[in-house]
Amino acid sequence: MKKISTILLCKILRWIGKILGKGSSLPGKIALKICPDILERIKLPPYIIAVTGSNGKTSTVEMIAHILTENGKKVAWNKEGSNQIEGVTTLVLNSATLGGKVKADILLIESDERFARYTFRYIKPTHYVITNLYRDQLTRNGHPKWVYDALKDSIYPQVKLILNADDPLVSCFGKDHKEVIWFGAGKLEQDESSFSGIYHDGKYCPVCSHPMEYSRFHYDHIGHYACTHCDFKRQEAEFEVTNADLRQGTITINGKYDISLQLKSLYNIYNILAAFTVASLVGIEEKSMVKAINGFVAKNGRVVTFRLGNRKGTLLTSKHENSISYHQSLRIAAACEAGCDVLIIVDAVSRKYFTSDVSWLWDINFERLNCENVKRIILAGTYCHDLAVRFSYTGIPAEKIQVLETVEQAHEALNNDRKEEIYVITCFSDKDKFLQRVTQQ
Amino acid sequence: MRILHLYHDVMNLYGEYGNIAILTKVLKSCNIETEVICCGLWEKPDFSSFDFVYMGAGTEENQKLVLEKLSEEKEAFQEYVNKGGAALFTGNSFEILGDMITEETGKQWQGLKILPFRVRQQKKSRLTGDAVFSTSKIREETVGFINKCSCIEGIEIPCFQVLMGMGNEDRGKKEGITFKNLMGTHLTGPLLVKNPYLLLALVNDLIKKERKEGLTLEEKESLEKGVLAESIAAYEVTLRELKKRMEKEK
Ligand SMILES: [Zn+2]
Repeated sequence: MKKISTILLCKILRWIGKILGKGSSLPGKIALKICPDILERIKLPPYIIAVTGSNGKTSTVEMIAHILTENGKKVAWNKEGSNQIEGVTTLVLNSATLGGKVKADILLIESDERFARYTFRYIKPTHYVITNLYRDQLTRNGHPKWVYDALKDSIYPQVKLILNADDPLVSCFGKDHKEVIWFGAGKLEQDESSFSGIYHDGKYCPVCSHPMEYSRFHYDHIGHYACTHCDFKRQEAEFEVTNADLRQGTITINGKYDISLQLKSLYNIYNILAAFTVASLVGIEEKSMVKAINGFVAKNGRVVTFRLGNRKGTLLTSKHENSISYHQSLRIAAACEAGCDVLIIVDAVSRKYFTSDVSWLWDINFERLNCENVKRIILAGTYCHDLAVRFSYTGIPAEKIQVLETVEQAHEALNNDRKEEIYVITCFSDKDKFLQRVTQQ
Repeated sequence: MRILHLYHDVMNLYGEYGNIAILTKVLKSCNIETEVICCGLWEKPDFSSFDFVYMGAGTEENQKLVLEKLSEEKEAFQEYVNKGGAALFTGNSFEILGDMITEETGKQWQGLKILPFRVRQQKKSRLTGDAVFSTSKIREETVGFINKCSCIEGIEIPCFQVLMGMGNEDRGKKEGITFKNLMGTHLTGPLLVKNPYLLLALVNDLIKKERKEGLTLEEKESLEKGVLAESIAAYEVTLRELKKRMEKEK
C-alpha cells in the first residue's frame, strides 16, 4: 500500500512541478522520505545503463537515448538532468506503474560523480559508462582523485564497465574488474607528440607514481600512455575512433562506420563513441546506429549562434572551474581561419553556489588564443580583472585585449561593423546575460 | 635571487605556478634578477643556495609522496628554515611540516617534525569555502579559498586570524602557521596573485635581504600603478564580493 501511494504521490508532485516549471528532484526527495526503501521495491528493466564522469555526461546520455529510441526501444531517462539520487528517484517512480514496474526496455541514468555511490546502492546498473575524470568544480569536488575514490564505491563486481581507455585515471577502474569494455581514439592526424597544456595530470603513473610516457596526446592528458616502471598502460580499445577529420567534420569508428559531426570538436567524439559502444552492447545494429547519430541534433543549447547587428557570432558554453571544457571552446575559436574576436565572460563563478575563487583561470591554456586568427579579445564581467591578470601572462599583445566590467559594455564594444566573427566563451551561469542582448538563430 | 618551486608537477592542483610567475615579475620590475628552479617529484632539491622556497597543494596521495621525498632531505631543509630562509607553503603542503598526519583509517604518517603540530585527515567530506583573513604583516585583508579534508591541532603562532571561513581547527579563529620566515596556510592557488598587498610585503622582506633596505615608496607606488594594477583591481572586487557575503551570513 505504501509503495502504491508513494509512487502515486511522486507522479502527482512531478505533474504539478512540471506545470510550475520546477526541477525534478523534489518529488523524489519527498518519496525517499516517506518510503526510504522505495527504490528496492521497484521492478527494474533488464538494462540499466548509467553514465558518469566530469565532462560530457549529458551529451552522451542524450545521444544514447536518441539512438535507442530511434531503434524502437522504450527508454526511461533523466531528460531534465537532475542527476543526484532524488532526481533519479523521481525518474524511476515516474516511469513506473502503480504496481511498481518500470515501463521501459531500458533505464538510462546520468549520475553525478559524487553521489553515484548512494544512487547505485539501490539501483544497480548493468552497464556503467565512465567518460573521464578532469579537474572540475574543485571548489566543490575537491580534486579528481577524491572523485575517483567516491566513484570507486559505486562500482559493483557484476557490472559491465564501459571505460575511456585514453584517460589514465578512468582506466584504473578497470584494474581487477571482471568485465570491462574499452573505448578510445586511435592514431589521429591532429595528435600531438608532446604535452601542450598547463598542468599534466598524466605525468605520473596513477598506480606506482613513476613517470609515464605518452606516444601521443589527443588533448590535455588524454592519449596513449604507458608507465615506465610498472605494467600500467592504455588498453586496446574494442570501440575505437580510427579517423577524425575535424575540418570536414567526420569521424570513422572501427575503420568502417562514418559519422558526420554536428559539433566539430575533438572532445565531442568521445561522447559519440561512448554512445556507439553502449548501443552496440544493447544489440542495436551498427548501420542503424550510424543513421541515428547522423540525424541527431543536440538540444542542450551549449552552442548558440546569434547575430549582433551585422555580425555573426557563436556562443560556446564552457564550464567555469573546468579547464578542459574551456580548452574545447578555445580550440574552436583559435581555429577560425576567417579571423575572429573573442569575448570571455566571468561574471558569476557558479549559478548553484557562491564562490569568488578564480584560481581555475590559471589552469586554462588561454595561450591558445595567442594566434593570428584571433584579432581582438574582450574580457568582461565581475571578475574581468582576474582574467586580465591571467592574460598578462599569455604573451598576447596587450593592445589586442580590452577589459570591461559589465556584459553590457562588452556588447557595446562588439556592436560595430567589423568583419570578424564573434566567439563568446562563457558558462551556464553567465550566458543569458549576453544572449538576451542579441538575436539568437 | 634564486627561487625554488618544490614538486611543482604534483603539488599543483589550483594554479599555484601563478605565485611564482607574479613574484618573479614584480622582482624583475625592481631590477632584481631571478632564477627559478622547478624541482619535480623525482628530482632531489638542494636547499643550500636559495632565497625563497615555495610549495603548493596536491592530492592527499601526492602529499604523502612528497613527504616521503622531502624526508630524505630533511636536515638540509630544516637548516634552511632554522637559519631564517624564506618559505611559503600553501594548501595541504604545510601539513607535512608537523609531527604527524593521521588518516581516518588510523594510518599514521611521520611528519618532517620541523614544527610541533598534528594533522587529522578524513575521507567523508571535503571542507571547502571562501576566506577572508587578517594578518599583522599587512593592513589589508587577505582573500582566498580553502579546499581541505583535515583538522590541525597544536599550532601556537598562526599565519592569519579568521574573519570569514575555516581555521586550522574548523571553527577556530587561527589559520596557518608562522615560524621565522616560513609561512604556511591552507589558502589554495595563486594566493600572491589574489593578494597584491601580501605579495608586496613578501617582496619587501626578500629585497631587504638582498640589498639591506626594503622597497622604496617610489618603487611601491610604481608597482601599484604598473604591473600590479590589474591585480589590485581584482583584489578589490573579490574583497567587495566576500564582504557582501559576510554581511549576509551575519
Ligand atoms: Zn606504474
